Amino acid sequence: MKKNRREFLKRSGCALGMAALGSQFRHFGLMSALAQKVADDSPSSVPTDYRALVCIFMNGGNDGNNTIVPLHSSTSLSNFNDYYALRNPFNLALTQNTLLPFAVPRMGNLTYGFHPAMGAGAFSNGLYELWGQNRMAVVANVGTLVKPTTKAQYNEFSYPKPYGLYSHLDQALQYQSARSDHQIFSGWGGRLADQRTAPDNPGALVPMITSIAGAQLFTAGQTTLPMAIGPATIGLDQVLKPQGYDETPDSQAQLAALNALRSQDLSSELIAAASHVTDQAITLNNSLQSYQEVSVQFPPSGIGNQLKQVARLIKKRTDLNVRRQIFFVQINGFDTHRQQMSTHNSLMSQTSQAMRCFYDEMTAQGIADKVTQFTISDFGRTLNPAGTGSSAGSDHAWGNHHIVVGGVSSADFYGINGTNGTPFPTFTYDGPDDADTGTGARGRWIPTTAVEQYAATLARWFGLPDSALPSVFPNIGNFTSTNLGFMSAP
Amino acid sequence: MKNYRYRSTLFLSPIFLAITLLAIPSIAQNEENPNSPTPVLLSTTGSSRALATDATKPVNVVPTASTSNFPLNGKAAVFVTNVRLMKGEDYTAFRVYAEDGLRHLYRFPVVGLKIADKENQIYAITFELRDELGVWEVPASGDIFVSVAWRGLQSNRLALRIGKSSDSGDPLKGSSQYKDAQIAPENVGDRYSGDRVRFLEQATFGPSPALDLRVRRIGIKSWLNEQFEIPYPSSGTPYPNFPLRPTTLPLTCNGQIDNGEPDPDPFCYPNNYTQYPVQNWFYREAFYGDAQLRHRVAWALGQLWVISGTDIQQSSHMVAYHKILSRNAFGNWRTLMKEMTLSPGMGDYLDMRESTRFYFNENFAREVLQLFNIGLVMLNPDGTVQTDQQNNPIPTYDQRVVGNFTSLLTGWNNCEASLALCPNRSPGSPNFIDPMIITNTNNHDLSAKTLLAYPGSTTTNVPACEGCTGTAVTTYANNSLNQALDNIYNHPNVAPFISKFLIEQLVTGDPTPAYVGRISAVFNANRTNPSQLKEVVKAILLDPEARGNVKTEPRYGKLREPVLLLTNLARQFDARSFDRTEQSDGVLTAETSPMGQVAFMQPSVFNFYPPQYIVPGTSFNGPEYALYTTGTAVSRINFINTLVFNGVPVNAERRVTVGTSLGLADLQSIIAADPGGNDLMDVLNIRLMHGTMSDQMRATILNAVLTVPASDPLLRAKRAVYLVATSSQYQVQR
Repeated sequence: MKKNRREFLKRSGCALGMAALGSQFRHFGLMSALAQKVADDSPSSVPTDYRALVCIFMNGGNDGNNTIVPLHSSTSLSNFNDYYALRNPFNLALTQNTLLPFAVPRMGNLTYGFHPAMGAGAFSNGLYELWGQNRMAVVANVGTLVKPTTKAQYNEFSYPKPYGLYSHLDQALQYQSARSDHQIFSGWGGRLADQRTAPDNPGALVPMITSIAGAQLFTAGQTTLPMAIGPATIGLDQVLKPQGYDETPDSQAQLAALNALRSQDLSSELIAAASHVTDQAITLNNSLQSYQEVSVQFPPSGIGNQLKQVARLIKKRTDLNVRRQIFFVQINGFDTHRQQMSTHNSLMSQTSQAMRCFYDEMTAQGIADKVTQFTISDFGRTLNPAGTGSSAGSDHAWGNHHIVVGGVSSADFYGINGTNGTPFPTFTYDGPDDADTGTGARGRWIPTTAVEQYAATLARWFGLPDSALPSVFPNIGNFTSTNLGFMSAP
Repeated sequence: MKNYRYRSTLFLSPIFLAITLLAIPSIAQNEENPNSPTPVLLSTTGSSRALATDATKPVNVVPTASTSNFPLNGKAAVFVTNVRLMKGEDYTAFRVYAEDGLRHLYRFPVVGLKIADKENQIYAITFELRDELGVWEVPASGDIFVSVAWRGLQSNRLALRIGKSSDSGDPLKGSSQYKDAQIAPENVGDRYSGDRVRFLEQATFGPSPALDLRVRRIGIKSWLNEQFEIPYPSSGTPYPNFPLRPTTLPLTCNGQIDNGEPDPDPFCYPNNYTQYPVQNWFYREAFYGDAQLRHRVAWALGQLWVISGTDIQQSSHMVAYHKILSRNAFGNWRTLMKEMTLSPGMGDYLDMRESTRFYFNENFAREVLQLFNIGLVMLNPDGTVQTDQQNNPIPTYDQRVVGNFTSLLTGWNNCEASLALCPNRSPGSPNFIDPMIITNTNNHDLSAKTLLAYPGSTTTNVPACEGCTGTAVTTYANNSLNQALDNIYNHPNVAPFISKFLIEQLVTGDPTPAYVGRISAVFNANRTNPSQLKEVVKAILLDPEARGNVKTEPRYGKLREPVLLLTNLARQFDARSFDRTEQSDGVLTAETSPMGQVAFMQPSVFNFYPPQYIVPGTSFNGPEYALYTTGTAVSRINFINTLVFNGVPVNAERRVTVGTSLGLADLQSIIAADPGGNDLMDVLNIRLMHGTMSDQMRATILNAVLTVPASDPLLRAKRAVYLVATSSQYQVQR
């Protein structure tokens, strides 16, 4: 990445004298102009179709063990009885007849079940139905890794492991940065946008990447600065609009001063940074002044309103002159150390309902297979319950299952095979897939698929050429497969 | 002196300063000059190039000529004068900044400081040619512009050529890039008013004219001593006092419609069972209370030991927790640790009260280590990260330690025993006031535990309590708890971890290691002092890196978080009710929410913003900037628009009973008396900007103010306040 970055600066910066580079340099508009020079040098042409990635961050560590559950009774792999025996104490196990069953080709067509809240609800038919339509895939036992890791290697002191394992902040940041050997200060969404803004979105009126969930590492690139706006409770035309202004000369004089102050006193980097963000906001406000409402009714939940705002922006894609976009939304509350059954049920219902409404809206816009939603989360959770009684929950763990909806190849499990010859872990405490050892082992799955592999598969579909994979995923060379196969051909 | 130059007029000798001090009679007797001199970077003769030399070996003398073509990742030295080091102050007090042609600002790690010319007090500062955090890659060759910062003051900027590039003459001469050192003005208003207003921004919820006058009379140190003794909460704003929440809420007070009937009093539910009264009390104490410092430090500590109204859905629980924060704000850290650990609010929020030997819950055990006391990596006493031979940070502990602390902390639950043991117990309502106890001895884990091991650790093993029952278990659990807390408290990370956190909360987001080290030493020197934090807070606020009229270092200061933005404006401009007949009701959460912060409602235990957030497009760490996006930037502008031009009116739906408005009558009089607006700008410069308003900013605002007809002085005053308050120059507290 560093090399490319330097190349970029060499090519784009040399033509501009030092004096020409004022405080506006980091403005996304100028950045696009500079980046355009890169596009002119490269053979690729502007794409004719539209594609978008929508990252759904399940903040707090979603319990994958209760999101996707083995329902079969085959003894060759962990089955429902294994799950139930280890999870049932204090009623942390879902009951067999409530799980939503589906057959998994990768697992010899054995039956697995989705969380019951992923079925039909108040606003939509839920995500479950999309499995049957081949619009949803599951990537099993994904997690942060520096290199492929076996249990024996995990127990070697000097074997490279992700920093801050089991720590929320560190693990969430690694999912967003796609690098686990040491901390870096950009996200893979941002770096993907760094690579693709110039060739794919020349003349765009908004940055390639938008967050509806505030500042997030995922969205920060080196040349990409994201747009961050509030959810759909505020219309796009109001979401970045300074209030209290009209067209009278007196009002405009105040506005002129408000704007002029942002170019002053920039020797303080703190002031410059704040002014720059405000400057970007005021510019973007002009681009968002008209929008069409979406046709599907979204749930009025936090995640529902975030995805609705994303859908509005996508509907405006021609006006905004964008062909590739990346979005980030989040739903909080997945750190279910207690009262998991009721909390998790509610969260899964909100997630499934909102994601399905979004999918339906994309269908209405005619781009259901061009817009892909995918989940990330801090980590999975212990199979072993935490706490007691109705307040039982689960603790921080590692490998986790993720859901992809939209431009997928077919409904199946994906990911790298583990010790049992499948990507799905074996439910045994201190077993071959449990990072924990000894009698206190609690079932923290060692991931078989790295975040980088999961993300690279999505990025390739988005249009990132293989040659640029290392620029976005610096450690991708540590893993053999860079395409897990769950996305349709680019 | 032949081969380098410095501006001798800038060199302030200690003797000269002493004379100056004695000549100023109008300030409080014990008030010292808060200003440090501004460092001056030496150039080669007649040039805007920095005098610099290769520094692979220690540099002891001032060279006769400058070296260039420094290799990337190599070491260079520049030369600086006009600094006066205090005892123990070393290279960690200095920063070297560089800017390239793309206006990327780098910070180069400073690795050494040597006196190079004793007679002229010239120091050689050695640094590495790489970005400290590794965000930017240093350009391979060409001119960059370097400056040195010390105690928040930036030197002049000079050119430095790196890599193999041909000499391009004198790149800065006559160009706007050249900048002389900004010498901190000695006088803003009266002599130290700039520093006094800055001090009040750090130590309170915002300066006000009355408070400023008081500190001017008695001096900063006397005011601090007064603050350490003043009763809290202030007499006009006692803590909300609502009964504990019953397990089953009465039908007349559950916020729901039962049998077709809403609650008879629509405020019953929010008053009793939500954060509403605590939030309102918090703002009223911030606006009107006298115990400003304790309130501010408690607010800071509440951003470390986080519990949140997203889970703790009752005022009385939050009040009990806040009492622990405020009671210990000037107390001893070890005492605070224990009270927090056994706080039922914390026990609920991080689930320690759910954790038993049959089913462990790691939540609190993990965070008491990671978030509240020591962090994930080993720290030096100055807060810098310790690394191993491969340059990787050294972890403080692993999952096994979390497991051991978890089992040690099992079996605690709310105090539901005799009234003698649990005086606040109220049958039918869980006791969220008294410290947790071992309620069921069967739930406590009796096996042996291994605690944190670190250089100097002593009690790393807690033996098993084989066959213990009854009171023996309770005694064992209590002893184990004390041993575990001692084990944490004695960890060498605690002092720098807490010191740095408090500096970041009160003063600057990016303190030098020297500053952190000084505070850390005070923390450690007072480990057994019941007033440990009082000494720590005092040291933080009186440190030379905190004090001074003006700070010019590019990364000095912090973005005001929304709550503090609100309270600073409210206090400076006499916030009262919407109709101005009484005090504000403090109902303001709907105003701060669009800016990304609601008091007592942190989204998670990770507070409102993360401890590390590299601002996109830069290489600096600015945690509060995680709350500053395109969306919230506009929300801030719109919030100030509401507060300054409209006020917050009464609104039954939002439960605003009397509302809030600012009082700008004094500003109105000032601009009415001086329609040219200069007096108004002077006042705003002192009160809001502590004298840092640039001429350009002043002209821009004045121009816009004067387009309002002189016949409407109130609107002129409002526009002036709006434009200052919405500016990034004000949003950044420095």
